[in-house]
Amino acid sequence: MTETAGETGTQALVLRQAAVAYDRTPVLEGIDGVVEAGESVALIGPNGAGKSTLLKAILGLVPVVRGSITVLGGPPAAARRQVAYVPQADTLDAEFPVTAGQVALMGRYPHVGWVRRPGRADRLAAAAALEEVGLADHARERFGTLSGGQRQRVLLARAIAQQARLLLLDEPFNGIDAASEELLLAALRRLRGTGAAVVVSTHDLALAHLFCDEVCLLNRHQFGFGPVATTLTPELLRATYGGHALQLRGDSVILAQP
Amino acid sequence: MTRLLIEPFQVGFMQRALLAVLLLGVLAGAVGVFVVLRRLAFVGDALTHTVFPGVVIAFLAGQSIFLGALAAGLASALLLTVLTANRRVTADAALAILLTSFFAVGVVLVSRLQSYTADLSAFLFGRVLAVDPSELAQTGLVAAVVLATLVVLRKELLLRAFDPDGAAAMGYRVDLLDLVLNVLIALVVVAAVKAVGTVLVIALIVVPAATARLLTDRVASMVALACGLGALGGWLGLAVSYDVSIQRGVRLASGATIVVILVGFFVVALATGPARRALARRRDSVGVRSPRGGAR
Repeated sequence: MTETAGETGTQALVLRQAAVAYDRTPVLEGIDGVVEAGESVALIGPNGAGKSTLLKAILGLVPVVRGSITVLGGPPAAARRQVAYVPQADTLDAEFPVTAGQVALMGRYPHVGWVRRPGRADRLAAAAALEEVGLADHARERFGTLSGGQRQRVLLARAIAQQARLLLLDEPFNGIDAASEELLLAALRRLRGTGAAVVVSTHDLALAHLFCDEVCLLNRHQFGFGPVATTLTPELLRATYGGHALQLRGDSVILAQP
Repeated sequence: MTRLLIEPFQVGFMQRALLAVLLLGVLAGAVGVFVVLRRLAFVGDALTHTVFPGVVIAFLAGQSIFLGALAAGLASALLLTVLTANRRVTADAALAILLTSFFAVGVVLVSRLQSYTADLSAFLFGRVLAVDPSELAQTGLVAAVVLATLVVLRKELLLRAFDPDGAAAMGYRVDLLDLVLNVLIALVVVAAVKAVGTVLVIALIVVPAATARLLTDRVASMVALACGLGALGGWLGLAVSYDVSIQRGVRLASGATIVVILVGFFVVALATGPARRALARRRDSVGVRSPRGGAR
């Protein structure tokens, strides 16, 4: 129904020497790599490295000034309906009067279209998505009253309801409880099983090892893109982070699997 | 009670005034919900001031005040959207500059008039008792346009208010949605110019919606409450100002009386908040509900 003409292979995301800029001067350069359907890639780099900017470029919200970014076989802006962006839960207004169920339902908006209201099928999809992240019992509770981890799961439910084929997650594991992290990872694994590709920006190297096939090391330009085992090396990490301290949670992980 | 609430409205000008404040109450209440959710009260305030020079220019040129307000309102809504989207000028500075400069132009123009003080106060505070049938029709037209737009775009405006990045990621034009809301606010100001003036209309927009927010956690109920409170405050304000003026011989400005009553609602909602929440908690623990926090 929504398939585009050029969409033949299984490549969810193709980056070809892409440079991204808000004005003229690129904030990110030389981004090059491929994410296949069902794969997961971690964007790793210090604060201000351009991880969020890259996510925005994949959404078509920041222009690509050199090279190219191809999303699901087409230009980024054309694929938005099938690309879900999952923001950090604590960037959203906790006082806003919406329930968890309503937030999940927002994932259906791109499918519902302008003017029309979400129908029964949309409500069922939103309810199923909440179930998927273990929050079926919380649908009627206000979003802001949930814990940080639960809110992050609601936002993932919104992405699931959107039935996206590429998910972009911005630091989803920052400051959330272990139980929520487990549920998030389990839901993401099931999504990958259905062929969805996942791009996740994170500081958490252990998590990249645990969950991702590939990593993209970023700090203004790309320091490496490839399989976790061969790319997440102490040398490349040191190059990426420069003199800055690494934010590790289990630093032995890197050393144990060089 | 009948004497206070019904009797004043047996004469034509009072009926027109009542109709005008009921319309405005519903209109401002509905738009106000989005203003409060977006935390745009200050933006709304700026728009109320920027409409002012349009009113004055139209008055000086002998043109329809409604059209003057409309032109100024649309122009300032556009300017405001562009300025607040600019990364180099902070939003609050842009607002303050726009608000004061437009307002100053209006005051400069009014000061050339003979009847300076009387005209200024009419523009700023309105004369609801002097609303004529054609002005009432204009208010009705604006109300229809604004409410229809809100109905059509409610889910998009709500998504944008809750999660602007998410809305943009889904492909919505956030800048256009912002322009739409700014134009709606400007239209409410335009509709309210004659009845309550350009200054007090911000109270009509913000206070009922803020009160409704205290009373409910649901957007749909919030809209219903804000519209209801806005209309009720308009009715009570008119009745009280009429009663005091006629029975006690103390002149009370109708527009300002309405605002005082609306703020009264807000204070009551704020003061009874703890008691209402305690009551809700007790109902919660008595009623059968699904287990909470099961996943944690």
